[in-house]
Amino acid sequence: MEPAEKKVIPVKEGLWTTPSSPNEQPQLIGSRCIQCGELYFPRKMDGRCVYCQQENLEDIKLSRRGRIHSFSVVMQQPGGGYYRGPVPYAYGCVDLPEGIRIVSLLTESVPEKLEVGMDAEMIVEKLCDDDEGNVVATFKFRPVKSDPRKEA
Amino acid sequence: MKPISEMREVIVAGMGITKWGVYPDMEWYEHGAKAILNALKDASMEWRDIQAAFCGSVYQGTGSGHQAIREVGLTGIPIVNVENACSSGSSAFKLAYESVAADIYDIVLAVGMEKMPRGPIPSTAFRPWELKLGFNVQPANYANQTIEYMEKTGATIEDFARVTVKNRKNGALNPNGRFQEPVTLEEVLNSRMVAYPLRLLNCCPLADGAAAAILCSKDKLKSRGKVIKVAASVLTSGVYGEGTLGGGGITSVKHPPALGTTELSAKQAWEISGYGPEDMDVVQAYDTMSPGELWDLEKLGFCKTGEAKHLLREGAFDINGRFPVNTDGGLMSRGHPLGATALGQIYEIFLQLRGEAGQRQVEGAKIGLSHSMGAGPNSSVTILKR
Repeated sequence: MEPAEKKVIPVKEGLWTTPSSPNEQPQLIGSRCIQCGELYFPRKMDGRCVYCQQENLEDIKLSRRGRIHSFSVVMQQPGGGYYRGPVPYAYGCVDLPEGIRIVSLLTESVPEKLEVGMDAEMIVEKLCDDDEGNVVATFKFRPVKSDPRKEA
Repeated sequence: MKPISEMREVIVAGMGITKWGVYPDMEWYEHGAKAILNALKDASMEWRDIQAAFCGSVYQGTGSGHQAIREVGLTGIPIVNVENACSSGSSAFKLAYESVAADIYDIVLAVGMEKMPRGPIPSTAFRPWELKLGFNVQPANYANQTIEYMEKTGATIEDFARVTVKNRKNGALNPNGRFQEPVTLEEVLNSRMVAYPLRLLNCCPLADGAAAAILCSKDKLKSRGKVIKVAASVLTSGVYGEGTLGGGGITSVKHPPALGTTELSAKQAWEISGYGPEDMDVVQAYDTMSPGELWDLEKLGFCKTGEAKHLLREGAFDINGRFPVNTDGGLMSRGHPLGATALGQIYEIFLQLRGEAGQRQVEGAKIGLSHSMGAGPNSSVTILKR
């Protein structure tokens, strides 16, 4: 008998949108302050801007494409036993065009294939299995070749 | 904050340290008690002279300072435990300093101690989902800052290796550090990759150990050693919008801060003490990862952004250089018992100003600065003078 299909659960609820049709792609959900323009990821559930101190936040869907600002490739298992994904793995800072820098796992873990300034796009994929037999999913950024039309 | 001239003068009556290293059969309270007894001896004081105690540690749990002091003798004095990540020891020092400066107590103990868990530091200064995503790897967080720093300044991995080589050379002259063996540039560049682009010998080793300081008002001084005074003891924590990946700070692209946590602590220390970078004879910079020493010196104001690599290459940071940095070998040689580290850094300034640093003595050192960072983020600057 085939085992039942594993349930997919996000590493944290509310980090990205769930597409309602196959043509849509998931997007990260952030907050934007209507008062001062500050952006947050993940979205702030209490609706309060910790920069201007106003309660004026609205949810926004963040761009799926950004630019790699910095990165590192981790070569050994992190301490504490919290991380259960593959090793080596990479994470870094990605700048999104709206004006926010976020920290994200990167799909590429070969250092030579990563560069500052590379374009990267957001995807959702498996992080690890958990003890209950679920698949834990996360957002990651995947380096992509720059669009030559933009460079011109 | 009041300038130092408006506060009661505070003297570092004595300091004590243990030999830092790996001690499977010793607990943190034994290291702590040993450092306290060494500090008492150095200060020519008795345990019953101590009126309050501030005890720094990170991983030792509830009442860790009480347990160390129980080994020395309980006397009913207030014992306060201080957890402020890698700035725990300097935060304890600051609290001790303030309680004497404010005329609340006359003789106060600051101790920092740690028995480190083995393997990579299991930092928990992150949100639960960030821990699950593996963002708590401090070498990787520093590596991100390193990549950023290399882009900005043109510093190279060879420069970072030079920091390790310099510090391990100095460490060979420090019997209390974990490592006394120098390393070559090639050994650093060929060591195991930990978190690209940082290799094992770019990362400070862990260690168990403790350090202690006794601070007092001038009238209570007993030691016949040179009189070492506190010129500033400053702690700043995170500022809005500064991206310190390992410290929990998030970059704000829209509203970046005018000054970072380190820059702010340096500014306050210069204002309080009335000194500037040019007045420092000896400096303890925060080299938990070797690139950090370079940007630390720049952020503290010892040189402009991108200049530290040139000064390093010229030998300006050597023991006999223009401004010696990490004369005891830094975290790179001493090792890193988190709660003790920042007090261990201050210990070296104390020793240098006393003229008791032996083979690594900086001739005529009169004023020195120690800087430590910590997850949170935290930044602490201590200036001592004689």
